[in-house]
Amino acid sequence: MKQIWMRWILSITVIVICLFILFPHVSSVSVTKETKQEWEILNPEGVIKIEAMKINPHPSTLEGKTVMLRWNGKHNGDKFLQRVEELLKERVKGVKVIKSWEVAPETVDPITGNQERSQEFAKAIAKFKPDLVIGAQSD
Amino acid sequence: MGIPTVTISSSEFVGLAKDTAVGQGAADLGFVIVPHPMGMIPIEEIRKKADLVFPEILRMATEWKPEAKLPPMKPVYPAGRMKLKGTVEEINQIFFEKGLSLGLPILPPTPERVADMLKGTSRKPDDLLGMVPPRMGALTVELVSIHAAMAGCKPEYMPVLIAALEALLDPRANWRGLTTTTATSSVLVIVNGPVIYEIGLASRQGAAGLGHHANASIGYAINLIADIVGGSKPPSPDKSLLGGPGDFVCWIFGENQLALPPGWEPYHVDRGFKKTDSVVTVMGVYPPVDNIDHWSVTPEEHIRWWTNLITPMLSIGGPCWISQMDQPHIVALGPEHAQLLSGAGWTKDIFRKAFWEEGRIPFSAWPKGCPNVDLLVKKFGPVKADTPIPMTLRPEELHIVIAGGAGKHSHFFAPFPGCFPVSKIIRK
Repeated sequence: MKQIWMRWILSITVIVICLFILFPHVSSVSVTKETKQEWEILNPEGVIKIEAMKINPHPSTLEGKTVMLRWNGKHNGDKFLQRVEELLKERVKGVKVIKSWEVAPETVDPITGNQERSQEFAKAIAKFKPDLVIGAQSD
Repeated sequence: MGIPTVTISSSEFVGLAKDTAVGQGAADLGFVIVPHPMGMIPIEEIRKKADLVFPEILRMATEWKPEAKLPPMKPVYPAGRMKLKGTVEEINQIFFEKGLSLGLPILPPTPERVADMLKGTSRKPDDLLGMVPPRMGALTVELVSIHAAMAGCKPEYMPVLIAALEALLDPRANWRGLTTTTATSSVLVIVNGPVIYEIGLASRQGAAGLGHHANASIGYAINLIADIVGGSKPPSPDKSLLGGPGDFVCWIFGENQLALPPGWEPYHVDRGFKKTDSVVTVMGVYPPVDNIDHWSVTPEEHIRWWTNLITPMLSIGGPCWISQMDQPHIVALGPEHAQLLSGAGWTKDIFRKAFWEEGRIPFSAWPKGCPNVDLLVKKFGPVKADTPIPMTLRPEELHIVIAGGAGKHSHFFAPFPGCFPVSKIIRK
């Protein structure tokens, strides 16, 4: 009986040693722990650099003014603005409404961020000298 | 230009609209918010939404005054320093919680690591490359080095990384649109010239995939910069509807110049550079379509695979948004497909023209809701139901690159709207 127990203990010892030899990384992970340390780290966020844009005051009334409706081509934006045109003409005396997509079809473009095209469109709209631009965007 | 504006935005996108205004220098604008959505609803519903917000439109038109101010500007160099205590794992956790990483592990950008990275470039650390949209974070060479260190780049990758970033900062690349769109778009980086072999950038089997240190770490650094310096974080201003792996590591591979068929020039030569130049080209793209053609034995058969897979609708051009039709598309030909074409005597030009002509679809196949038929008429003349509409205005807008290794695949990258390829010489 004692011999059988001795054999069992010996076998288990041999298996454990073999496991440590075969998988040394497992044994090291289980017995070591990464220590905390003091770090000096450079901030990856960087700073914002923006030139302020001059914002002109809005008119105090739209009566007798020219309003440009600007549609960027996204679905239903034109339908929305057409309703805005109806309401403006109903409720604002002497307002003149211009629809960008009729007078400057090249500005109908989802642009999605292209700066150069945005500036071209702004210039094309400015040619009509509106007092206010109402723009519909997004999905 | 001084014209007052009222901007109408749906409730889901007003955050992006406001961030964009700030990025352009307007701390405040007159916004009117309409309950989302505006698109893909019946006309009666959209008219009701206009009725609902009309009083607010009038109020904004005549009473709006700016309230917010831009934050004070700080010097762009040197980068700030942080003192932190913890394990590498804890530093990663802190970075993630502060929005300074993407969720993948980073190496802490210590002054030593960043100084090592700067050894890979002759550029001064305070050189300002530009402002990364939409946040307009000032990108100095030092800041590039910080992100290169975080991504695990080697110093010798710095010239490629800097050239790619300079290309992305070119307005033609439309980095802003790419990082704020709802689309699953990504930056595509194509590298040409001797630099491929000098830094070990993958250009053959599986070049855009895993197992290539230069490609992986440069692609990761580009996206770290877009997200952290550019601030394009979801859900706003990064409005990706689904997003994808390209949000972590962008597409990047070298052209397989060793597999170019006889007489075919490498892509950077097509773009006007010398063969001996090292050049990076970037473009904003949608996920590619895989042309799996195992069967064709003639170019004519092979073209049918292309034109049955790739329709002009993929490029969102055509009568929907016709202004996109002048944007180049990238045809990343697998070497075996290129050999099939070349073996029959086809040049790049013959392939381009055949693809362009065979790929046209009749006007009647387009969705009825597409606007701008007037513009289409201006481009193509009178349009009838059976008028064939191509994916681009000219065959030349199909840009051909030899990509990948052995196998029977090629890939087609449609451009994201407003994005044009931008190439820069890589300088040490």
